[in-house]
Amino acid sequence: MVLKAFFPTCCTSADSGLLVGRWVPEQSSAVVLAVVHFPFIPVRVKELLAQVQQASQVGVAVLGTWCHRRQEPEEGLGRFLEGLGVIFFHEPWLQLCRERGSTFWSCKAIQRSTPPGVPSEDQVMLVFYDQRQVLLSQLHPPAALPDHQAGDAPASAGGLAAVFDTVARSKALFSSDRFDEGPVRLSHWQSEGVEASVLVELAKQAAGPACLLLSFLLSLLSAMAACRLFRLWPLPFICSKLSTCEQVRHRLGQLSLVFSTQKAENPTQLMRKANVLISVLLDVALGLALLTWLHGKDRIGQLADALIPVADRVAEELQHLLQWLMGAPAGLKMNRALDQVLGRFFLYHIHLWISYIHLMSPFIERILWHVGLSACLGLTVAVSLLSDIIALLTFHIYCFYVYGARLYCLKMYGLSSLWRLFRGKKWNVLRQRVDSCSYDLDQLFIGTLLFTILVFLLPTTALYYLVFTLLRLLVVAVQGLLHLLVDLINSLPLYSVGLRLCRPYRLAAGVKFRVLEHEAGKPLRLLMQINPLPYSRVVRAYRLPSCGCRPKLSWSSLCRKLFFGELIYPWRQKGGKQD
Amino acid sequence: MEEEQSFLDICGGSLTLQRRYYSPSCREFCLSSPPLSLRSLTAVTCTVWLAAYGFFTLCENSMILSAAIFITLLGLLGYLHFVKIDQEALLIIDSLGIQMTSSYASGKESTTFIEMDKVKDIVINEAIYMQKVIYYLCILLKDPVEPHGISQVVPVFQSAKPRLDCLIEVYRSCQEILAHQKATSTSP
Amino acid sequence: MAFRGGDWHGLSPSAALPCTNSGRYSTYRTRTHNICMVSDFFYPNMGGVESHIYQLSQCLIERGHKVIIVTHAYGNRKGIRYLTNGLKVYYLPLKVMYNQSTATTLFHSLPLLRYIFVRERVTIIHSHSSFSAMAHDALFHAKTMGLQTVFTDHSLFGFADVSSVLTNKLLTVSLCDTNHIICVSYTSKENTVLRAALNPEIVSVIPNAVDPTDFTPDPFRRPDSVMTIVVVSRLVYRKGTDLLSGIIPELCHKYPDLNFIIGGEGPKRIILEEVRERYQLHDRVRLLGALEHKDVRNVLVQGHIFLNTSLTEAFCMAIVEAASCGLQVVSTRVGGIPEVLPENLIILCEPSVKSLCEGLEKAISQLKSGTLPAPESIHNVVKTFYTWRNVAERTEKVYDRVAGEAVLPMDRRLDRLISHCGPVTGYIFALLAVFNFLFLIFLRWVTPDSIIDVAIDASGPKGAWTHRYSYSKKRGQNNEISKTR
Repeated sequence: MVLKAFFPTCCTSADSGLLVGRWVPEQSSAVVLAVVHFPFIPVRVKELLAQVQQASQVGVAVLGTWCHRRQEPEEGLGRFLEGLGVIFFHEPWLQLCRERGSTFWSCKAIQRSTPPGVPSEDQVMLVFYDQRQVLLSQLHPPAALPDHQAGDAPASAGGLAAVFDTVARSKALFSSDRFDEGPVRLSHWQSEGVEASVLVELAKQAAGPACLLLSFLLSLLSAMAACRLFRLWPLPFICSKLSTCEQVRHRLGQLSLVFSTQKAENPTQLMRKANVLISVLLDVALGLALLTWLHGKDRIGQLADALIPVADRVAEELQHLLQWLMGAPAGLKMNRALDQVLGRFFLYHIHLWISYIHLMSPFIERILWHVGLSACLGLTVAVSLLSDIIALLTFHIYCFYVYGARLYCLKMYGLSSLWRLFRGKKWNVLRQRVDSCSYDLDQLFIGTLLFTILVFLLPTTALYYLVFTLLRLLVVAVQGLLHLLVDLINSLPLYSVGLRLCRPYRLAAGVKFRVLEHEAGKPLRLLMQINPLPYSRVVRAYRLPSCGCRPKLSWSSLCRKLFFGELIYPWRQKGGKQD
Repeated sequence: MEEEQSFLDICGGSLTLQRRYYSPSCREFCLSSPPLSLRSLTAVTCTVWLAAYGFFTLCENSMILSAAIFITLLGLLGYLHFVKIDQEALLIIDSLGIQMTSSYASGKESTTFIEMDKVKDIVINEAIYMQKVIYYLCILLKDPVEPHGISQVVPVFQSAKPRLDCLIEVYRSCQEILAHQKATSTSP
Repeated sequence: MAFRGGDWHGLSPSAALPCTNSGRYSTYRTRTHNICMVSDFFYPNMGGVESHIYQLSQCLIERGHKVIIVTHAYGNRKGIRYLTNGLKVYYLPLKVMYNQSTATTLFHSLPLLRYIFVRERVTIIHSHSSFSAMAHDALFHAKTMGLQTVFTDHSLFGFADVSSVLTNKLLTVSLCDTNHIICVSYTSKENTVLRAALNPEIVSVIPNAVDPTDFTPDPFRRPDSVMTIVVVSRLVYRKGTDLLSGIIPELCHKYPDLNFIIGGEGPKRIILEEVRERYQLHDRVRLLGALEHKDVRNVLVQGHIFLNTSLTEAFCMAIVEAASCGLQVVSTRVGGIPEVLPENLIILCEPSVKSLCEGLEKAISQLKSGTLPAPESIHNVVKTFYTWRNVAERTEKVYDRVAGEAVLPMDRRLDRLISHCGPVTGYIFALLAVFNFLFLIFLRWVTPDSIIDVAIDASGPKGAWTHRYSYSKKRGQNNEISKTR
């Protein structure tokens, strides 16, 4: 198998020395982590390696020698480097060499155990990698990494995940500074911007108590919400129907997650917390913008003045529609008696509705003003409130729809069972299938009579049903759009998307290789880069759960329900209710 | 080191296959299709604008004209950035993996790298594509649970769609490396 | 999705191996054909047509021809698959309309079928079953492309009702310029010749066959204490399920030691369930539901008497299978059934409850008196009757004859259509044929034949699989994978 040497790009200009890293025998690859410079005391190097090994549980060892020839080639150095192999025994022993002014390196791997007569130089492939990017990146999907606490089990992840794992675990090796006067001088990647870390430390110190306080407040709030008074009968039912309540509850849950004092265990959880925080902040910012817009220039008053005429207008239009239906709509000839009965029934409802609206009209402005205040809780809450207001203002349409649907549904059921009676069949409830059955003459007679009556009355009911269903669907569609907006704000992982935009290597889908310039006889040189996750996958992987679950109705089942007159509900429903 | 050969794709368009042998263990195959021709671009633009002008004469609304210009520009950008793939490359590195790169006309690159220990084999398969029956090269991935099973089939050169003769060339070359890989990974 | 592992070095035409194993090739004939079987009905759908196509193809491959099968996609099974011995099956993604038959517009399947015919270098199109819209489409396209056509009719039709009249008209159009027609029995030939107004000389009779090794008797499996009547058929109107529901209560009432085993599934199953419930026969009438082909024999050997209640049948493989398993067969005297078995092996009745009951009673009395011949002896007689090799040989003769004939050129085809199919239909279909021809020219302009890759043969005289099969067993292994996936 070809031997692969992973070499950090930050060490390419380092002085000559020893290569420190990990040997992965299954892949036959050597992951170089750092270069130890001359002069050093071999015992100290071994001590340092033992320390690192203990801290990181990675088998770090001296893999070979690194020779960077800046001046004229020195005979002595070459021989000296070869001699080092006796002190630090490793199998195979790598010999990397960079000539002065040349971009091509030579690389040899020497197997000592083979008998001397056999040429034991393997094919070697050099892979350069950016230590910082590999250290900070997070592979997707996460490879099954063994627990850090699991003890002495070495990294068992296969392939390139092993490289990532090795680098990520050897953080201890990188902690030493370039300018430290330690016993051993190392060359490796170093984090910059140490100065800013003072601020970070301060923030970290402050975050603990702040979180504690906030989470206490939140728990107080939720305790209040859970108190007995709110458990009385109508309240939970109403709460479950109002999307505002759902939204507020959802936000509370999210906030308590963010401010919980527990530390995030894995990067996914951390990312989720950050996403929630950003989404809440954005939401509140948008809500405040809306608030300032609403409360400036008396816009609330204008809205309130506009709302009453609109409601009146809708009622009026409905009245016209009903009168049209009671006549001969679109030239259809309806059953006159049934038509009149239904029409009057609905007209009476509209009458009730108009008087209700007029009763309410003096208070509308005040109510709207308070509703506007709720925008400071976030745009989503305001939008949910808007959806609730629409639902309340179109309650009469809902009522009409339910009456129409029930009537229609009854007729459909009657017709279908009477149709079976015609064919000498009946529905077998026990076996859930259609059986054949012989009916008496009078049964057939009555059945036929009923069937005829139902068939002739069907068009009238169907027309009412059709008209009100269309109205209802319009309302449901508007509400659905509002809920989509709320869900979008709720579930968009803004932090992850921002991270992908600014630090593409942090979210890695894998790696990609570029073949560097090549010269015959020299080993192949590859550059390993982080392949960033596509945006679509970022969004999919870090999507926050939205509070209302999507309708499980497909289009075909919706049409079926509409045809058979079963009730359709708005889009957002609690998960538990559908089960 | 580098050879160039021209082939046909399944619709009769011309393709160029570049083979780069970096080392015995690393090969790259690059299929490039001809760039966007000015003629077809002009034809499409003219059609859209003429249609828009026709609407304009009907409705007397100049919004339509500006909308048409915007739509053509956006469409062109979208086409170059998301649809038109100029070059597809297959890089196969012994004992490391297989990398597929597709470069869009706008310069965007999308890369997929498959590690060698996940690759079961590379084969030529036939499939019904649109109203044609075509041969295509694909990488079979191992099922991590069941060693003999196949979890996924990854097609290669998805947009270029070269003909069988070209596929056989690439296939043979890939099989050489795979055979070498199999021979060396079992022997030690 | 079918895939082919292994290396391809041997598969390219340049690297085709010389014939080293001449012993194997000595059985090959000098003239081989590239045959394309087209039908809507193929595995995984089960039935007589399906197994006919499969077995015939296998025997033709054995005789050195190249055979491919084209059918429509069944659920998730679409694309290209390989079956035993490199039999290649194209499952085309066409919409299924009714009863597993594809919807036809006469044009939409042309691009794909033409592509397949060209890439496989097909010379003879062999369509199966007059119920299959795809088979007729393929005939129509093949004639436009100038390929030889053969059609096998597997079913009988009436003449009286509206649907038959329409189907017969369609058949007339479809078959008037087909090179050769094969029917499965003489009754079927007579029927087809009348329906499609054909010249009887271009109609051959080649019966179906069964694989006698699959249907061997096993007398120890049948219980001695009770008598068992076996019915294996799809439970549909055409198979006379309504007759069966009349027979069951009558016989069960008369003979307390009589059991029924009914295998098969269909819309009429509910009738049988109701009969079972009404007469409390749950312990005596077993409904097995849909059977796989390999299970049929295990069901058959459990019984003494096989009952077939079909109302129309061209050949009826089921009674041959039952007789091969050593059962006494009682059947209706319809269609081609009287030709199938000699009189001493079958009791024929009229298609009515009364007559069938009489026939069954006769069989039961024979069984009780022990005058029925032994299952082994019946098997030995039947197994010589119908074999696939024989069928393949006879079909090959048809191919040889067809290959020598000329395909009608376009002008004569139009003449034939107009003169043969009546004034209205003839003109309509002549017009459609012209459109089809123009469409073909358009397709040839869009993708010329030279652009279409020639498919690598798995079977046939230059087949990659037939060469390699003798060298390594690896192919066989792949072949299994492709079957299971």
